[in-house]
Amino acid sequence: MANLPVQGINALFSGGFIENEYVHFNKLSALVIDDISAMRHAVRSQLQSLGMNKVSVASNANDALELIKATAFDVIMCDYNLNSTSSGQHFLEYLRNENILNATSVFVMLTAEAEYSFVANAVEYIPDDYLLKPCSESKLRSRLERLIDRRAFLMPVLKALDAKQYDLAVTECNKLLDIAPDARRRMDVLRRKSDAQLALGDHLSVLETYAHAAAVRGDAPWVMMGLARTHYALGDFAQAAEMANMLVGKNKNYVAAYELLAKIRLESDDDEGAFELLNRSSVILPSARRFRSVAQAAFLLGKLEDAKSNAEAAIQLSNGSMVEKPDDYLSLAQTQVDMGDHKCAIETLEKNARKHGDVGLFGVAKGAILAQAYFDSGDHEKARKLMERSVSLLANRTDSVAMTALGKAALKTGDVVLGMKLLTQAVQVSGQDERVIARHVKKSMIDTGHADKVEDVIDGGRKRILLLVDEATKLMRSAHFSEANQKVNEALAIHEENLEALMTAAQLHLLWLKHEGMDARVVERAKAYLSTLDKLVPNNQKVMNFYRFFNDIVSN
Amino acid sequence: MQNPLSALVIHDIKNALSLLEIDLEQLNHRKDTPLEGRRAYRRCIELKTRLVSFLTLYKHDQSGLQPAMVEVDLAEFIEDLVRNSQSAMMAESHHGHQIVVHADNERMKPGSAAGGFGMFDENLVELALESALNNAVRYAHRRVDVWFEQEADEIVFRVLDDGAGVGELGELMQRKITEKSSSTGLGLALCKAVSEVHGCGSVQLESVPGGTLFTMRFRAAG
Repeated sequence: MANLPVQGINALFSGGFIENEYVHFNKLSALVIDDISAMRHAVRSQLQSLGMNKVSVASNANDALELIKATAFDVIMCDYNLNSTSSGQHFLEYLRNENILNATSVFVMLTAEAEYSFVANAVEYIPDDYLLKPCSESKLRSRLERLIDRRAFLMPVLKALDAKQYDLAVTECNKLLDIAPDARRRMDVLRRKSDAQLALGDHLSVLETYAHAAAVRGDAPWVMMGLARTHYALGDFAQAAEMANMLVGKNKNYVAAYELLAKIRLESDDDEGAFELLNRSSVILPSARRFRSVAQAAFLLGKLEDAKSNAEAAIQLSNGSMVEKPDDYLSLAQTQVDMGDHKCAIETLEKNARKHGDVGLFGVAKGAILAQAYFDSGDHEKARKLMERSVSLLANRTDSVAMTALGKAALKTGDVVLGMKLLTQAVQVSGQDERVIARHVKKSMIDTGHADKVEDVIDGGRKRILLLVDEATKLMRSAHFSEANQKVNEALAIHEENLEALMTAAQLHLLWLKHEGMDARVVERAKAYLSTLDKLVPNNQKVMNFYRFFNDIVSN
Repeated sequence: MQNPLSALVIHDIKNALSLLEIDLEQLNHRKDTPLEGRRAYRRCIELKTRLVSFLTLYKHDQSGLQPAMVEVDLAEFIEDLVRNSQSAMMAESHHGHQIVVHADNERMKPGSAAGGFGMFDENLVELALESALNNAVRYAHRRVDVWFEQEADEIVFRVLDDGAGVGELGELMQRKITEKSSSTGLGLALCKAVSEVHGCGSVQLESVPGGTLFTMRFRAAG
């Protein structure tokens, strides 16, 4: 880095801009999102005088979303204060959650001071940079030059990430690591490498990447958070908790660490502790997603007042925005029914949630909760009709949330046979959400006086499979491949088309090959699992990645 | 501001000033901009900087500043500070001859463990250092150097100008007095506030061989 003398006033005032030798602004496209027209156009003028010719503008998140879906912008400049219901932070969270934002797009958040400390702690969904408003053109230029320069270095990796070719991304990262000129670049690359390995589910390799990053600079928050998460995934909760606590010690507002600590508490069945931690993170950084988690934890703990206020907060914060979820009305109404407030539950669903209609799976659950409310109000006839409608709406579909709601309503309105059948099925089809659904089912059964049958309903074969898959996953992550294989085989013996078991089997065999070298029998089995999966879930992204991973290993 | 109306008005003024600044900035890109246009831009920047400094200090006095700790690459931070410093840009006009502001890489000392990265509120620290730079360029003869030093648990920022050399303590005294009395004395108060909210902070202005040295230090992680 050479010493940089500041250009004299004349150089800056004499018009024209100094063309950077690496960054060609005239080749870049940008999107400016701001609800205030004067601001929007001011920022656009600034970008144009940097040399950008293709600058689009949007006054709200919905318009911006359409533009982002249609065009891969190089730079997105988003105002934090979009309007009263959706902030730039919500927008970014939505884009990242839905995988809409390209890795190659640079996202810059423009904030006023008051909001800055608020957003800077939102570590889960950080933009590439924050700029404090007002921002002078020269500051804008130097920030963008740095961001674009970094992006240029990472470009092959970012392109692979955008194409979801995670194995290729890892290969590209390794190439870049050889030529990274300084620690900063190395850290940039290592971060992307860990993202790609996480997407591949390769926890053993990701641990190596974090160790590599820690050797460059051990106290980087993302490295510590990554290590904590990996330890958690590997089942080492004590070490995960220690790391997360260290992070919280350094920054008491680090919400991602609180959220991980909450998960660890849940593992040891400390529901109360998990609730406290989730609650704390929703106070530090309120978002609809966090209020939802708190509402659910509170509901399962029987803290109905907390469940109600958090469900209401989730609705209020997301109402009319992209992160709005109709299911929030279901949670609120079910809580109101359980509180004995059937009038409010009916109002919530029939009046406030009217815009979400009453068809589809939402309709099934809505009808089921309304049936409970009308049953409580004494209108058993209306309750019966609502139940009939929901049952026929559900038809042959299997959705664990809708089935749980309907099952609970059946138990409550006296149809024990239907209730048991639906709840058992709900657990069986719950897949990734098994833990949560099982808790809801258990609570529904206890609340309706069927505590004695909880084990039967939750077991139903499903629990045994998941337990085995869980054990296999842990063995796999600690590189005990043949022991893990035994467990997966036991699970597949119960149900040969169980997706979780098949996915684990495939992943296990890929990691086996990667870490212990080629073995013809392992290759054959890996192929067989992949082709079964391809038949069961065609074009599944995860399976596609497994295939790429497999081809990569075999060709090496 | 306690009064919601004043808060609203101040916010409005700040926004309007920002837009005015951007308009003037764009106007000044033209080769034929008259001298008055340049002067207006300069005044607008000064006014905005003063308003932002005042608001920051006001907030500090009323409710305390809450630094937003983010990870900062110190060398990049200094480089950007120098490159974008509006007071450095204006320096020339105060004197009629050019004052050069350097990001002094020779003197930069990354800590062995932290490796040149620190956790602090980059916007607050930038605001404070910008006011220190503003002060330095007003008294410098030819040159101002800026760098950081990272110690075990401290980050130190230094601004050295070649203004008051050895034995010119009188001038140094004059500067300190001016800092206290003039309206731009906002600067030192701001630096103090910013270093304090980061923990164990301090600010110092001293005469050293070859010039005057401004030092701001605070604890490395909040």
